[in-house]
Amino acid sequence: MKIIVLVKEVPDTYGDRKLNLETGLADREASETVIDEIGERALELALTYADANEGTEVAVLSLAPEGATATIRKGLAMGAGSATHISDEALRGADLGLTAETLAAAIRRVEFDLVITGNVSTDGSGGMIPAMLAELLDVPLATGLSSVQISDGAVSGSRPVESGVQQVSATLPAVISITEALPGPRFPNFKGIMAAKKKPVEVLTLADLGVTADNPDAARSIMLTVAEKPPHAAGVKIIDEGDAGEKLADFLIENRLA
Amino acid sequence: MGTTSLRRGLPRVPGGEPWPPAGLAPSPAAAPAVQAEPELIAPAHPSAPAASVVETVAEAEPPAVASAPAVPAAPPAAPAPAPAAVTEKPVRPKAEPRLYGSRTLGQWIKLVVLLAVGAVAAAAILVLAARGVTTLPGVSEFLEKYPGAYDLPDTAEPGFPWWAQWAHFFNIFLMVLIIRSGYQVRTEQKPPAFWTPKRGGKKISINLWLHQSLDILWLANGLIFVVLLFASGRWMRIVPTSWEAFPNTLSALLQYMTLDWPVETGWVNYNSLQQLMYFLVVFIAAPLAAITGVRMSEFWPKDAKALNKIYPVEVARAIHFPTMLFFVLFILIHVFLVFATGALRNLNHMFGGTDVVNWVGFWLFAAAIAVTAAGWYAARPLVLAPIAKLFGQVSSR
Repeated sequence: MKIIVLVKEVPDTYGDRKLNLETGLADREASETVIDEIGERALELALTYADANEGTEVAVLSLAPEGATATIRKGLAMGAGSATHISDEALRGADLGLTAETLAAAIRRVEFDLVITGNVSTDGSGGMIPAMLAELLDVPLATGLSSVQISDGAVSGSRPVESGVQQVSATLPAVISITEALPGPRFPNFKGIMAAKKKPVEVLTLADLGVTADNPDAARSIMLTVAEKPPHAAGVKIIDEGDAGEKLADFLIENRLA
Repeated sequence: MGTTSLRRGLPRVPGGEPWPPAGLAPSPAAAPAVQAEPELIAPAHPSAPAASVVETVAEAEPPAVASAPAVPAAPPAAPAPAPAAVTEKPVRPKAEPRLYGSRTLGQWIKLVVLLAVGAVAAAAILVLAARGVTTLPGVSEFLEKYPGAYDLPDTAEPGFPWWAQWAHFFNIFLMVLIIRSGYQVRTEQKPPAFWTPKRGGKKISINLWLHQSLDILWLANGLIFVVLLFASGRWMRIVPTSWEAFPNTLSALLQYMTLDWPVETGWVNYNSLQQLMYFLVVFIAAPLAAITGVRMSEFWPKDAKALNKIYPVEVARAIHFPTMLFFVLFILIHVFLVFATGALRNLNHMFGGTDVVNWVGFWLFAAAIAVTAAGWYAARPLVLAPIAKLFGQVSSR
C-alpha cells in the first residue's frame, strides 16, 4: 500500500502571525514556520498503519516555498519514507485551484492507494483542497473523519456532521481528510532524525509537473484588498441603576443583535 | 483573445506589478456587459524601489494600500501604473542604530564600564571602611576574643568521608541542571516538547519535567546526606553548637572584608561564617526551594482549600526565584573562596578526601565539571525525549 500524506508549512500559531499589507500574502519572516499540526496528525495516522502493516510506503508531499525543506524533513524524521517538495516562484500566492492542480499532478506521477490530508489548515483555513484533489484525481472522497480504519482495499471512518455521525467508506484509491480528533503526532527520536538525513527529498518545479500557473484560460483568484485587523475597541459597560434591562435591550437593538 | 483586459489584484511581491500581468481575457469569457465596466487596478510602484522602502510604505500607510484598489485608474488600453502612488511615497527614515536588547552597543559598553568602575569603587570603600572599623577602640580586642571560629565539641572528627564527597559531587551536577532547567521553564515561550504522565494528568513542558525529575534526585541526595550527617555525628561541623558562633561570624566577616582573611582550617573546623552559611544552605535554603517548588508543581494537592489559603501559590512563586538567586550568589562566592584560599588543598579536601597539597583533588574536580558539562550538553529534547517516554508520553505540542 502506498499512502501519500499532504503536509503544509504554516506560520506557527504559537506567536503573532502577519499578512504583508501590500501583497496580502502571509509574512513568513514574521513568525516561525512549522508543519501544520493537522498534517502531522495525518502523518501519524499513516505511520500507525505502516507500523502495523508491513510493506506500507508512506510519502509526504508538500507545496511550499523554497526554504521549507527543513520543515518537511521533520515529516521524514517522524518516519515517512520519502518526501516530495514542490517549489516554484510562480506558485507564490497560488489560489486553491492552482494548488490542487499542482498537487494532483504530483500525486498522479506515482501509483497511490490513499491520500491523507488535514481537514483545514491553520493559516488559509480553506479546507477545499481534499475535495478538489478527489475531483482532479477522479477518486472517492471522505472528509472530516474523526476516526479512520484502513483495510486492504478500502478506507472507512466516522464523520461527525451537524445532525449526528456518519459512517462512511470508500474503495481505494481514495482521498480522505481527518480532524483533530485523531491522535497527535509522535515525537521524532534520535534514530529517526539521523535516518531522515539519508531519506530522499525530491524537489519539483511546475515545469516538471507540466502545470502552467499563468494560463489565461484558467480562472484564478486575485486579492483586491487587505487590511490589518482593527484593534479591539473597548466594550460598553452597562451599570444597573434599575434600568439595566432596558439599556441591554436598547444596546441589542442598536447593534441589530435583537 | 477577447477585448476585455484582465482584472488585476494586489501584487504577488512587495513593490511588484499588480497580479496578473496586464493582458486580455480569453474571448469566451468576455461578455458584453462586463466590457462596459470600468477597470479596477491595484496601485503599483513604478520605479520598483528597494524592498525596505516598500515595507515602510506598507507599514506606515496600510489604509492607503487597503483602499487603493477602489480607485479607478487607467483605461484598459493603457494599464500604466497610477501616478497617485508616487506622491504617497514617504522619505526613507534615518537608519536607526542597531539595538542589542534594550540598548545600542555604545550604550552597553558605557553601562558595563560604569558598573565595573562602580563595583571597584564600592569594593574599595568597603575594604577601607572595614579596615577603618578595625582601628576603632575595642574592635581589636573583639577580634582577639573571637578569632572567627570556635572550638568544636571533642567528638568532632576531622576530614570529609566518602559519602560527603559523593553527595557534594551529585549536588554540583544536579544543582547546575536544576538551575538551568528552571531558568528555561521561566523564560521559554514555546516549550520544545511536552510530557504527559502515564496515569494521565496535565501536560507539562519537557524542561519542567526535567526540572522536577532532577529535583526528586536532588532531594533524595540531600536526604541521604542529612541522614548520614547526623548518624555519623559530623553534623556539628555545619550546625552551630555554641552561641559563640555568632560573634565569631561577625569577626570572620570583618576579616574577610579587610582582605586580611582568617586562617583556613577547613579540614578540621570551618570558621563561623562558613559554618553559618553552610547551615543556611543545607537547612534553610534547600528546604525552602523544595517546599516552594512543590507548591507550584502538579504534586501539590490543588483541592486542599484551607491549606491553599494559608499557603497561596503566589507566595511560593515569589520565594522560589529569589532562593535560586541566593544559591547562585552562594555558589559564586563559595567557588571563588575555594580557589582563593589554597585551591589545591581545598579541592583535595572535598574531592580527594585528603589534607595534602597535590593535583589529585584538582583533577577529580575537573572530572566532576566535565561530567556536569556533558549533562548540560545532553539536556536537550532529543536526548530527554526517550528518557521522558519511559515515564509518560512525549509530544511536540
